[in-house]
Amino acid sequence: MQEKRSRFEELCLPHLDAAYTLARFLVGKDGDAQDVVQEAYLRAFKGFKRFRGENARPWLMTIVRNTAYSWIKKHAREANIIRLDPEIDAASAPKPQLESFWEERLRQLHEALSRLPVESREILGLREIEGWSYQKLASALKLPLGTVMSRLSRARERLRREIEGVRNMEAQDEL
Amino acid sequence: MNCKEASRYLSAYLDRELDLCRHRELEQHLSSCPECSCHVQELQELRSFFVAGAPYQAPPQLRVKVLAAIRQEEEKRRSAFFYWPWVYAAAVVVLSSFLAWNILFPGTQSGVLREAVQRYSESLSPVQAADIASANPQVVKTWLAAKLDFVPPVVGFPASGYSLAGARVDSIQNRPVATLVYKHGDDVVTLFCWPPRRNRLSKSNHTIDGYHVSTWSNAECNYILVSKLSDRQMDEFADSFRVHVKSGAYF
Repeated sequence: MQEKRSRFEELCLPHLDAAYTLARFLVGKDGDAQDVVQEAYLRAFKGFKRFRGENARPWLMTIVRNTAYSWIKKHAREANIIRLDPEIDAASAPKPQLESFWEERLRQLHEALSRLPVESREILGLREIEGWSYQKLASALKLPLGTVMSRLSRARERLRREIEGVRNMEAQDEL
Repeated sequence: MNCKEASRYLSAYLDRELDLCRHRELEQHLSSCPECSCHVQELQELRSFFVAGAPYQAPPQLRVKVLAAIRQEEEKRRSAFFYWPWVYAAAVVVLSSFLAWNILFPGTQSGVLREAVQRYSESLSPVQAADIASANPQVVKTWLAAKLDFVPPVVGFPASGYSLAGARVDSIQNRPVATLVYKHGDDVVTLFCWPPRRNRLSKSNHTIDGYHVSTWSNAECNYILVSKLSDRQMDEFADSFRVHVKSGAYF
C-alpha cells in the first residue's frame, strides 16, 4: 500500500506543473485549476493499478483533461466562456510600472491565450507543451486527423493575431 | 502548390506531420516563396515563445494539497474494508441463511447433536451417569414425569443385552429433555428424548467426536441416541426401541 503510494508520487508528482498548466488552459482560474489538479491526482491514484509503464505523464494528462471537462460541464451554467485568470484582468488593470521586456511579453501571451476558445488552448497545450503527435491528439480528442491539423493551424494563427492585438492595444494606450 | 494551399499545411509542416510527398511539395514552394517562408519563420518563433512562456508553475500549496489528498485516500482505503457495502451484504446473507437454516431445520442442525454428544461424554467421566439409578421403567418414568412437562416412553429392555440403568434430566438447546441411560456390557448408551416443538428429527446417523449418534422421531418425541456402539448395533437398538414404543410394550 505504502509502496504503491510512493511509486505513484515518484511517477506523477514531477508532472505537477504540467498538470496545473493544462488545467489552467482548460478551466482558467488558478483556484479552479488547483481543484481540478487535486481531483485529477486523486482519480489517478485510485486508478493507479491500471497504469502500466514508466512514463505516467500522458496518462496523467488524459486524466487531468477528463477531470477538467467534468468540471467545465458542472460549471457550464455559471460561465459560458472560460477565460484565463488573472490575465483576463491584465488589460483592464493598470499595467505594472516596472516590467521587464520578458515579463511584458509573457503577460501579453497569457492575455492573448485567455482570448482563445478553450479548444484552441487545449490543442496548443497538448501539442506544444506535451508534444503529443497528431495521431495521439486525434484519438484523445476523438477527432479526425484532418481536423486535428486544421484546428492546430487555426489555433496558432489565432494566437498570433491575438498577441498582435494585445500589443497594438497596449501601444495605443501608451500614446 | 500555391500560397493558399501552402498556408493550410504550414502548421503541420512545422510539426513534421505531413506525409513525405506533401512535405516535399511544400519545401519546394517555400524555397521559391519568401512570403510563406517568412510565415513559417513566424510560426516557429511563436512556438518557441509559447513553449517557453505558456507553462505555469504549480503553486507550492498545490503540491501540499495533492499529497494530503493522496495520503488521506490511502488511509481511507486501509480502513475501507469494513466500509465496503458488500462486507455488510455478505454478513447479512450469511447470518440470515444461518438463522433460516436453524428455523427451518433445527433437527438436522448439528448443534443439537453436538450438545447431545457433549451431555453424553460429560456423563461418562464421573460414574454419575444417572440422577435416578433404577432398572425399573415405571420408577424412572414417574421420576422423569415429575421433573418434566411431558411423560417420556421408558422401555426397560429395548433389545437383548441392553438394560435400563437410570435417567436424568439434561438441557439441550435450552430445553429440558429426558435422558435415559442404558447399559450394554460396560458401554453406556444414552437416549435423549423430548417432544418436538416444531420440527421432528429425521432418521439419520452421524459420527461426532468419535461417538455414534442416531436420530429419529415418532409422534410424541424426538430421539437422539449416543453411544460408542457400532452403527449396526445402534440401528438394532433404535429399531427394537421403536417396536417396543409402538406396541406399548414398555417393559
